This record gives sequence, C-alpha cells and structure tokens, in this order.
Amino acid sequence: MTTRQARMFAIASTAIAALVFLILTVHSHTRFPALTNAEAITPAVVAGKDVWHRYNCINCHTLFGEGAYYAPDLTKIAQLRGDAYLTAYMRDPGQFYDERVHRRLMPKQNLSDQEIADLIAFLSWASNVDTQGWPPRPILVATGLAAPGAAEQPGVTAVPTRPVSPEDDPIAAGENVFKNATPACLACHSTTPGVNLAGPSLAGIASRAEELIASGEYTGEAEDAAGYIRESIVAPSAHIIPGAMYSAGGMSFMPATYAESLSDEEIDQLVAYLMSFR
Amino acid sequence: MRYQSQSVAYWYFAVAIVLFGLQIVFGLLSAAKYLGPDPLLDVLPFDVTKVIHTNLLIVWVLLGFMGATYWLVPEESRTELHSVKLAYVQLVLFTVTGVTAVIGYLFRYGTGNKLLEQPLPHKLAIVATMLIFLYNVGMTIRKAGRFTVTEGVLVLGLAASAVLYLPALFEFENYTISIFYRWWTIHLWVEGVWMMIMGSFLAYLLIRLSGVDREVMEKWLYVIVGLVFIAGILGTAHHYYWVGVPSYWLPIGGFFSALEPVALVGMAAYAYFALRRAGLSHPNKLALHWTIGSTVFALFGAGLLGLSHTWPAVNRWTHGTLVTAMHGHSAFYGAYAMIVLAMITYALPTMTRSPHEGESYLGYAAFWLQIAGMFGMTLSFATAGVAQVYLERIVGLGYLDTQLKIQVHFLMLILTASIFAIGVGLFIYDFFRRVPLTEVAADEAVELSASGEAQPAG
Repeated sequence: MTTRQARMFAIASTAIAALVFLILTVHSHTRFPALTNAEAITPAVVAGKDVWHRYNCINCHTLFGEGAYYAPDLTKIAQLRGDAYLTAYMRDPGQFYDERVHRRLMPKQNLSDQEIADLIAFLSWASNVDTQGWPPRPILVATGLAAPGAAEQPGVTAVPTRPVSPEDDPIAAGENVFKNATPACLACHSTTPGVNLAGPSLAGIASRAEELIASGEYTGEAEDAAGYIRESIVAPSAHIIPGAMYSAGGMSFMPATYAESLSDEEIDQLVAYLMSFR
Repeated sequence: MRYQSQSVAYWYFAVAIVLFGLQIVFGLLSAAKYLGPDPLLDVLPFDVTKVIHTNLLIVWVLLGFMGATYWLVPEESRTELHSVKLAYVQLVLFTVTGVTAVIGYLFRYGTGNKLLEQPLPHKLAIVATMLIFLYNVGMTIRKAGRFTVTEGVLVLGLAASAVLYLPALFEFENYTISIFYRWWTIHLWVEGVWMMIMGSFLAYLLIRLSGVDREVMEKWLYVIVGLVFIAGILGTAHHYYWVGVPSYWLPIGGFFSALEPVALVGMAAYAYFALRRAGLSHPNKLALHWTIGSTVFALFGAGLLGLSHTWPAVNRWTHGTLVTAMHGHSAFYGAYAMIVLAMITYALPTMTRSPHEGESYLGYAAFWLQIAGMFGMTLSFATAGVAQVYLERIVGLGYLDTQLKIQVHFLMLILTASIFAIGVGLFIYDFFRRVPLTEVAADEAVELSASGEAQPAG
C-alpha cells in the first residue's frame, strides 16, 4: 500500500460513513413525531424540560438511561407514581427518604408549584416515548424489602424506615404504616410490578382500583378507587378477586384485624400512600 | 525547544495541569458522596461537584491539545508561530471562560445539558477562542509553506472539533432530538475527531522518540484515521439506544461499535512496531512510557471496556448504570489525558531548566501511581456496576436498596482514587519545580540531530 492509497482509504471511508449517517439522520427526522408523541409536547412539557435543565437534574439522575448514576432513572417514574406523590416528593424529598437509612438524599430544590407541575408534565411525556422496550423491567426507587424472605434472616429484624413526625405528608406517613403495621403490609405485599408474595403486588393499585370500579364487576360498597382501597384494608372480604391464590370460600386470606389495630388517621395515610401507585 | 514561540506551550500546559488537579479534587468529593451521608448536601450537592468534574476535564484536555499544537506546529513547519501575542490572548480568554463557567456551576448557572452545560455566552466565547486558535495555526503553516501529514491530520481534527461544537448552540423542544444532536458533539469528538488529534500526537511522538521513518508512520496514520471513522461515525448509534429513535439504530450501533476497537488495536500495534524497529534511543524514556501507556490504556478502556457493553442485547441491561462510569473513566484517561501528559512529558525537558540531572524518579512515580489508581478505579466501577445490574435490573431491588448493598465497591473506589490523586499531585509538583525557559537554549542537550529525530540505536 502506498501513502496515496492510504490517504484515499481514509477519505473514502470517512465520506461513505458520513453519507450513510446523514441519510439515516434525515430518515430519523421523519419518524421522530410518531416515536416521541411530538403532538403531545405542550407548552407545559417544554416548560418542564426547561425546569429539568435549570435544576441540573441530569447530573444526578438519568432519563432514558442518560445522565449521572447517583440517583434513580426517571424514564417511567410518571407511570409508576401518581401526581400527588410526585408533587409532595418534589416539595420536600426529605419527607420520604432518610439519609441515615440510604446514605444519600435529594436536596430540597425549592421548586415553585408551577415548576413542579411543568416537570411532571415533562416526565409524563417522557414516560410515553417509544424506548424500544427499555427498561426491560421497571427500575424502582426503593422496594423497602431487601429481597423476599430477607426479613426472616437472623440479624435482620426490620426494614429500615425513616422516622416520621406529625408534620409529614400523609403519603410519607402512610409508607411508614405500610412497613410497621402489625402484621406489616409489606410482609405479604410488594410494591414491585409482578412480584406477588402471599398477597398480590400493590404496584399500580390505584389504576387497577379505578378500572375495577368502572368495570361493573365490583361487588363491594366503595364508590371510588380510594374508597375501594380503604375497604380492602378494613374489610378484605367485601370484594374478592376471583382465583384460588388469595381467598377460599368467599373469605380473603388477608387478616381482618386492621380496622381494629390501625387508627382512622393511619388508615387515611395508608390509603394516600397506596393511591400513589398508579 | 527549537523555536522561541514554542514557549507559549509551557503556559498552556501549566494551566491545563492545574485544572487537572482541580478536576481530581471534585472527583474525590463526588466519590465520597457515593459513600455518604453527605455533610455538604445543601452547600455543594453531587450534581454540582459532578458537573464541575466533567467540565474541568473537557477544559484541561482542550488546553492540553492547544498547548501541544503550539508546540508541534513550529517544529513540523520549521517556523515561529504567526502570533505569540494572539496565542496568549487565546489562553487567557479560554481560561477565563472555563473558570467562570465552573464558578457559575457552583451557583447552578448552567444549561443542565449533560457535558454541554456551558451557558450560551460561554459557548460563544469557546467558539471565538477556537477561531482565534485555528487562524493562528493556519497562518503559521501558510507562512512557512511546509505542511506535514502529521500536522495536517492534527489541524483537520481541531477544525472538525470546532465545527462539531456548533450543534451545541441550538436548543430543541423535543428532548429526544436534543439527545440526538448532543451526541454529534460529544461522541463525534471523543470517538472521531479527537482520535485524529490523538493519532497525530502519537505519530509525532513516535517519530521523535523512536526515529522510525516518517513516510511509514504517516502512511499508517492515514489508515488509522480511516479505521476510526468507519467505526466511529456510525458508532454514534450506540448512544441512540432506548432514547426514542427508530430501531434500526440498534443493529447499526452494535455492528459499528464492535469495529471501534480495531482502530485502537491499530494504534497500539503502531506504537509497538515503531519501537521494535527503532530499538529505543531517545533519552526521554518517561515520555515513551506515557506514549505507549496511552495506546495500551485507550485500547483497554475505550476499546475493550466499551465493547463490553455496546452490544444492544447487553446494553439493554447495563444502560444507565455504573458500568458506563467504568468505561468513561478508563477511556477518557487512556486516550486523552495520557496523550496530553505524554506531550507535556516529551516537551518538558527542553522547555524548562531542570533543577536536577538525569532521570526524574518523581515522574516515574507519578506515572505508575496514576496507572495503578486508574486501573483500580476502573475495577471498582466495574464491580459496582455489574452488581448494580444484577441486583437492580435482574433481581429487582430498588435503586436505593441496591446502592446500599454495593457500598464496599465505593470504599474501593475512594481508596484507588486516592492513589490516583497522589500520582496526579506528583505530576503537578514535578512540572512546577522546573523553571520555564523563554530563550532558545544554545546547547540543547536533547537536540540529537539536525532533523530533530532520534539517533538510530547504536
């Protein structure tokens, strides 16, 4: 090979690769509107994107798996948790997580309510972008239980929780009830999609409750999703989901003791917490 | 130093390595936050230390490229620089831009667009600096009328870097489209045109250090550039996985990313065979360490560790985990930090008056501590990342629960990062204990032959 041939090789391979890349770029532009739901990019979504940039979110979190690796991925967060929770969380992350438990915490960002609403609009838009099936399973922030059965290991007595105070957001207080009621809800229920323990997974419970109420198959007395969740806690057999896994002879396997052992306020908090899973 | 104007390179190198030191300070701070809890949570949170860490990297590596170019071009074109004054203006402008951007980040003044966080005024200042730089280099070459392949590749790489920064000036309403064009800058820099810059520095150093025939080296430099672009341009596709683009980018990314190590194998083989032919005669063996080290570490970090997670079926699980940090640290260090340190180490004995005779053992300590530290950091990120993928993505633990379980790897990270930091500290000390020369020395000891190339092995 001569120098001249080597130079031709460098120029030709660069030119061909660049040409193919440009053609594919042009073609990609014709597909972006459909793949990214471009018509759903409202002024609120654009404003939310600016909030995302202004507060430097990407240098801790990832979105579409891109960013820093110090905080959870947020691609699908708006599909996993409801607006009420996300709003309360962004007002004060310290209400939901404790640095002494997880060794890291999101600092309070002092976002205005408008900024929070815009950011949620942006994250909701992002959660509907076609990411070709990524992530292959939901990326959750904290599942509470280290692993199914871990609490029974010697030396592991309780799930780490942050201490709660009366000023806490009801959702944060409800999470504490979920972990510390007797018997603890999370002993039988995970909040991980698809992970059914002794009881069914409670991931997406708010959306499923709404669908159930609307379906006409519901036999209990509740009128809305929150009412249904409350009823399931205090009277587990009021409506039985068909199947042999969780009930027999019209009686749910879930203990019917919570109406007694939990205060009304605690039940309200628990409902608020469970309603945040959509 | 053969030309007086080459002395501007000293000041570029001086600022570059000070910023390198500062980059490591912010890196250590960020690593400590992985271990947590963070006493600086409300004063200096992770997002701030991290953005400063990555931006300082870009600033000091670019300063290193510019300094090395001002060192290389007079020698290759056999002339003084067109304007020394302009070179100093450019240095001050670029340094002020970089430092004020970093100070701005302390107050959250930035665009929050990963790696391109610089606010618009700073971006425009960067473009202006690049134009001054290219003008000065271009005029020098034009006046000299002598233009080697090595500097041709270098100048094309620098000019293309400036052009590829332009997409960073635009904003898009669609986040997916802004991701698409962000990688035109970042990916086509680091896996495209910066590779040209690295390749030309490598050719320059190998010709000087080993004395191999320039014709042969420059012919293979072309081949390496060709290999870089065959894989690098379409390899951009591996940044387009899972971000809302058409799915044909997945197989394209997989195939062309798998080809990316070929150019890096080429560079390592290039260096190895150059030395085999020449039989080492240049006295600056430390510069040779950095040169060969750069090609080997780049092959390991950029080539192999990149390949380890670019196949779409693998990346589906590893995407957005510490596995990426493993690749990022070793690739940037091997390819770009080390080649700049190689150029500095090569130029240093002739641009300064050393207070001691003979070899600098401090310099060797700096080299080996950095290599060992970075290798350990790479392994720490790798083990943490693999554990994260398993626990979080496969077992299904929450993100925060997983991070608690991999604390031991963060301890290892801090330990090895401290070793690395000592190596960087020694390099900086070794640099500044010498006195810069402003005049061309009459009795250049390193000047081995009239042509400036090393003597054949005796």
